[in-house]
Amino acid sequence: MELNFTLNGVPISCSLPRGSELLLDVLRGPLEQTGTKEGCGKGECGACTILVEGRMVNACLTLAAEVEGCEVTTIEGLAAGGSELAAEQRAFVEQGGIQCGFCSPGMIMSVRALLDRDPDPPEAEIRRALAGNLCRCTGYSQIVEAVRRAAELRREEAR
Amino acid sequence: MSSYHRPPSVAEALRLKRELPGSSFIAGGTDLLVQMKDRVRQPTALISIRHLSELTRIETDGGARLGAATPLSDLADDSALMTGWPILGEALRDFASVQIRGSATIGGNLCNGSPAADAAPALIVLGARVRIAGLDGERLLPVEQLFEAPGRTRVREEELLVSIELDPPLPSGHGVFLKKMRTAMDVSLASIASLALLRDGRLEEIRLAAGSVAPVPMRLHETEKVLRDRPLTPERIAEARRVARDEVRPITDIRAGADYRRHIVGVFVQRALEATLEKGDR
Ligand SMILES: Cc1cc2nc3c(=O)[nH]c(=O)nc-3n(C[C@H](O)[C@H](O)[C@H](O)COP(=O)(O)OP(=O)(O)OC[C@H]3O[C@@H](n4cnc5c(N)ncnc54)[C@H](O)[C@@H]3O)c2cc1C
Ligand code: FES
Ligand code: FES
Repeated sequence: MELNFTLNGVPISCSLPRGSELLLDVLRGPLEQTGTKEGCGKGECGACTILVEGRMVNACLTLAAEVEGCEVTTIEGLAAGGSELAAEQRAFVEQGGIQCGFCSPGMIMSVRALLDRDPDPPEAEIRRALAGNLCRCTGYSQIVEAVRRAAELRREEAR
Repeated sequence: MSSYHRPPSVAEALRLKRELPGSSFIAGGTDLLVQMKDRVRQPTALISIRHLSELTRIETDGGARLGAATPLSDLADDSALMTGWPILGEALRDFASVQIRGSATIGGNLCNGSPAADAAPALIVLGARVRIAGLDGERLLPVEQLFEAPGRTRVREEELLVSIELDPPLPSGHGVFLKKMRTAMDVSLASIASLALLRDGRLEEIRLAAGSVAPVPMRLHETEKVLRDRPLTPERIAEARRVARDEVRPITDIRAGADYRRHIVGVFVQRALEATLEKGDR
């Protein structure tokens, strides 16, 4: 079957030979968008987090066919204009919210969704929003700091 | 290897289900796709129901009607629902992650038939019913009677759970949901839902249900008997704690031992009743 959707603002058309392909496999395979990571493959680690219509989704537990006609955003499409880093990405680099970096694409997509909903979330809400994104390196404190910084940067940009 | 189908209506979904032997309905897929990856299930075809508007509506007008394919986060965002039936919000709050709650549906939680389904104890004490549709019509069944065995419900192979229906909330009823997990994303070790109506110090109504402590989510009828129509006192609470411990039928598995689960249920029953007592009449 044929799948049509918008990936990071670009209309995409691709074929799903079986029909039940997972979105993560289609992104990383035929579409060659390998920024989105596969950790557990079972909804537990959040490395595969992307946004579908602005909502956080585990791409490893989503059928590609379900995003027909939808707006999908991955880490590759986070920065407007392409080359520069988005505020969330810059904040993670600045605050040491990234070590090995494997969790970062998914983590940062969750941060985008959180800050779109609440531009200045308290720490408890930050931690709750990121409960589905596991990090084996940072111990999370720097990540919380990075989210605070990202919120600041976004407010500055909005001014 | 499964094909994918997106029927335009409930009637068409039911017809497809009969036409495609070995097929499965799929809603959020957060149980089914994991089971497919683990090769526990290998459906020949997936019939997606999450786009059916008949299954994704939330209606509140005195009572409530929740479309079975409504994602949990949409329920949590519905302020009329959360105000009228706050115990539902409590049950959904510690449920998995933002990502999972955005996909996972309330109907999928029930139909998957897990003894640990977190929506079940709350829906049981609320006296919720499910509407089930088949090719030859619809029927209503109390959630309390929905579960047969681990992984098995009374929704038959060719049927679809359409909606969950709630009576108007008990005036001044007090609901509590408590669950014990090892970590935030883990399956619950034991959970309790309690709905109480305290008047002049007496429990006019009390409904208790527990998850993860028997082959299916269960109502604690024996414990309720000790409490119903009697003054709610510390002594009575202690007795209810003992009865609840004996009433549940937990197993030992990799997550916890049966004795520990019994203990937790007793403690949770006590905490729920103490919270009701503390809140007092109103
Ligand atoms: C990381 C992770 C964490 C989780 N945490 C929790 C938790 O804290 N608490 C908890 O209770 N669960 C948890 N779950 C389990 C799961 O997310 C829930 O049970 C969820 O509600 C299932 O809904 P779904 O729409 O995804 O079901 P699906 O996977 O789409 O379907 C489940 C089953 O029900 C059938 N089905 C679905 N809808 C219908 C319908 N309307 N009519 C007939 N049959 C139907 C399907 O055919 C399938 O057999 C977790 C899962 C994961 C992966
Ligand atoms: S890879 Fe999707 S949640 Fe782990
Ligand atoms: S930076 Fe290594 S897992 Fe998070």
